[in-house]
Amino acid sequence: MAQPFVKKDDDRDEEAEYSPFFGIEKGAVLQEARVFHDPQLDPRRCSQVITKLLYLLNQGETFTKVEATEVFFAVTKLFQSRDIGLRRMVYLMIKEISPSSDEVIMVTSSLMKDMTSRTDVYRANAIRVLCQITDGTLLAQIERYLKQAIVDKNPVVASAALVSGIHILQTNPEIVKRWSNEVQEAVQSRAALVQFHALALLHQIRQNDRLAVSKLVTSLTRGTVRSPLAQCLLVRYASQVIRESANNFQTGERPFYDYLESCLRHKAEMVILEAARAITELSGVTNRELTPAITVLQLFLSSSKPVLRFAAVRTLNKVAMTHPMAVTNCNIDMESLISDQNRSIATLAITTLLKTGNESSVDRLMKQITNFMSDIADEFKIVVVEAIRSLCMKFPLKYRSLMNFLSNILREEGGFEYKKAIVDSIVILIRDIQEAKEIGLLHLCEFIEDCEFTYLSTQILHFLGIEGPKTSDPSKFIRYIYNRVHLENATVRACAVSTLAKFGAMVDSLKPRVLVLLRRCLFDSDDEVRDRATLYLNTLGGDGPVVETDNDVKGFLFGSLDVPLVNLETSLRNYEPSDQPFDIDSVPKEIKAQPLAEKKAPGKKPIGLGAPPTAPSAAVDPYDRLLSSIPEFASYGELFKSSAPVELTEAETEYAVNVVKHIFDHYVVFQYNCTNTIPEQLLENVTVVVDASEAEEFSEVASKPLKSLPYDSPGQTFVAFEKPDGVPAVGKFSNVLKFIVKEVDPASGEAEEDGVEDEYQLEDLEVVAADYMQKVGVSNFRNAWEGMDPECEQVDEYGLGPRESLAEAVNAVIGLLGMQPCEGTEAVPSNSRSHTCLLSGVFIGNVKVLVRLSFGISGHNEVAMKLAVRSEDENVSKTIHEIVASG
Amino acid sequence: MILAVLFANSEGNILVERFNGVPAEERLHWRSFLVKLGAENLRGAKNEELLVACHKSVYIVYTVLGDVSIYVVGKDEYDELALSEVIFVITSAVKDACGKPPTERLFLDKYGKICLCLDEIVWKGCLENTDKERIKRLIRLKPPVDF
Repeated sequence: MAQPFVKKDDDRDEEAEYSPFFGIEKGAVLQEARVFHDPQLDPRRCSQVITKLLYLLNQGETFTKVEATEVFFAVTKLFQSRDIGLRRMVYLMIKEISPSSDEVIMVTSSLMKDMTSRTDVYRANAIRVLCQITDGTLLAQIERYLKQAIVDKNPVVASAALVSGIHILQTNPEIVKRWSNEVQEAVQSRAALVQFHALALLHQIRQNDRLAVSKLVTSLTRGTVRSPLAQCLLVRYASQVIRESANNFQTGERPFYDYLESCLRHKAEMVILEAARAITELSGVTNRELTPAITVLQLFLSSSKPVLRFAAVRTLNKVAMTHPMAVTNCNIDMESLISDQNRSIATLAITTLLKTGNESSVDRLMKQITNFMSDIADEFKIVVVEAIRSLCMKFPLKYRSLMNFLSNILREEGGFEYKKAIVDSIVILIRDIQEAKEIGLLHLCEFIEDCEFTYLSTQILHFLGIEGPKTSDPSKFIRYIYNRVHLENATVRACAVSTLAKFGAMVDSLKPRVLVLLRRCLFDSDDEVRDRATLYLNTLGGDGPVVETDNDVKGFLFGSLDVPLVNLETSLRNYEPSDQPFDIDSVPKEIKAQPLAEKKAPGKKPIGLGAPPTAPSAAVDPYDRLLSSIPEFASYGELFKSSAPVELTEAETEYAVNVVKHIFDHYVVFQYNCTNTIPEQLLENVTVVVDASEAEEFSEVASKPLKSLPYDSPGQTFVAFEKPDGVPAVGKFSNVLKFIVKEVDPASGEAEEDGVEDEYQLEDLEVVAADYMQKVGVSNFRNAWEGMDPECEQVDEYGLGPRESLAEAVNAVIGLLGMQPCEGTEAVPSNSRSHTCLLSGVFIGNVKVLVRLSFGISGHNEVAMKLAVRSEDENVSKTIHEIVASG
Repeated sequence: MILAVLFANSEGNILVERFNGVPAEERLHWRSFLVKLGAENLRGAKNEELLVACHKSVYIVYTVLGDVSIYVVGKDEYDELALSEVIFVITSAVKDACGKPPTERLFLDKYGKICLCLDEIVWKGCLENTDKERIKRLIRLKPPVDF
């Protein structure tokens, strides 16, 4: 065996003196590997060299193609030795080198010989090596032996073949699928591990056949499963069957629940936890079903084994998201876990407690967490900060103590990511909780007094420039901002100058004093700081000739550039310094289509400083600028709302088109974002022909074609419709993309002169009532509701018929109205029979609307709903009822 | 899938690293992440005391054995419970190969044997053998006695 430099004495000091691999060098070891070619092989020496090669590989060292080939050929020579220790090393070494397909032939005959050997362990090892290095063709040749091996009476051979099967299934599924019968037989094996491997393979073979999986689970839950590992797999497969058959049972017993419940009494802890986890994850799980699982999880919370405590608290953490009340019984046990040595467990316990705690326990909890925060790593702290952020959104009245907590931890030591998470949380609280604004801004100001991260300082200064001037006493922030000009690096100083200028522009009373401060910045050592100060002094009317009107100043300071930043960056990079100054009008204004990944997450809430301050207006802004820059649409008035892009083509088609619906009082404009995904084509004169026969109230008034659509360079074409003023007209539009297609020579990139007309059918598009509603939230629904005239309230009741669940009905109504759910009322606890949902929004014509929806569900899943609407205009309240009645 | 098995010495230098299904460019990141995790949490831990962490949908179970820290990373069916089985088999096999919780030197002396044990325990991301007596025989190409 490989024991390269065995020392007989056991003296620790001497032992630690040098490593057997001290000074090991790849080239030297490769030289040593020449001993494999010796006619008289020394097995001991060869084993030592292989150990060194393994050491190199296990350190992440790689061999070049030539080196690997050399080693591989040398190792194959070792098959000549009869030393069994060396043979075992050879098997491992061949797997580690993974020879290329043209080299494999060198060892296949030796391995085939071993595979049919009478010695069982030779067979097992040869199977593993062959399956690792062979391709499909050779596999077909050895398939017969593999099938035999699966049902071999030696469990080592059977397991080797089964685990090989699991790997081969990824590359050659059609071969492995033919082994079903043998694998089925192996599932009944008396050897625990063989059963485990066979079950895993059989499930993978049949995973797309629901009926077969269901049969497999049925038969095994009645039979004997020997190893706890296999039992865990079975629990997983059973819960998969339950999930997939969820639609087939409406009433009565849930299939396999009894099995899962019986596993809660299994002797292996692993199985108990797996079953408890499976029960908590059942969709629509009732309290009665949940209770036994929670009970065992609670017991594990005080287990002496950390893995069990972790698994239990991790499961309860998930349950707390959907059934917080079910977990409250475990709160005392979880509080004791806050001091658990294993910080992952402590963090999970804290975040669970934050989810299940009620308003009255917040203060006590915060006290406990404060002690805990000092001794955990940053990544755990970030998780806690995020949990506190959501707690604050849940209990806005508790903002004071939570904000204090955040500001305290902001002052302590911590890395960038952690500090950023805290700052992001404070920013979100400032945005969403009106009362928290001033105190939050002051905490941020305190922070930048001693902040080592330039990025965070500049972001906070920028945010301060937006929010600070709107507070009751903006002057108190000036000191903090101006301190930056003295104490910080140039980037922060430049940002502070911009923030000061914003205060000057927005607050008239501060303007003269801000001008004095800006003048002092003219002597800064940095060009950018001086330039900014000069610019702002001139625009704000301090000195110099360029004095503009107030609106222009504000537009310049607060408005963003009316070109996409990406386009501006590209243009600036392409600009070559010359006599011609850079012309911002030369920057294309067309917005490049978003990458697919971003489009797929439309519901993601903007987080942190990078997000726009007030979502609706900021989201519309770039569209507004784009549309007003097009003469045809410039006279349409104020843009009320732009929808999220609606895909009109399947993914990965020749032409990708999506549409954004822009709603004006009297018009609707469809912006078709088109992308040509064929490199050999250039499209010209691209238009969308819209048939509005199913949208009677709309008449087409304008169409703006796209002159040219080269490969992978998105462009837009527009079609505008007139509609009755202020009316939420709805309808369906069918669309055909028309264009002239020209062939492009891939070598030169030149398009041919002549093209042919062509068209491409797109999906239909609908304008719905929700398009006329802006999602605008209110921070305190009750105050807002009571602030509206009760006389304008319209109440009515509706039957929604049989629905899948209460949650589905609530989501359907929210989707129909397109309003913003308030105070988290869109989440329906899974077993509740009634629910109240609060919505707010702004309807076309800028009319504020608040809606209170009360739902009830009967035993037959019939849903009834009471709809109460308050708005500034009684007609709008009526319209909301009409939308619901017709939806 | 067992994504990684990693052994490091008390200074955080890698002794063995075996990855399965982890792209080459992510390995360095994993290596430093695990070593950092150990440095922060393993100080003062007892031999074979398990520590657990999860990072997104990936689970990590780690422990210390003599001078050597051992990390096992898994996902999907190899959650913290299955990984605790895996690490239990690994620690027993290493203890068996070295005769006691190893010093770094002893671990390196038995390096070849330990590599063979690992090969028997985890193969391409699957747990293959769990019984240390059987593993002990298999690495010497001796048939198991218990069937």
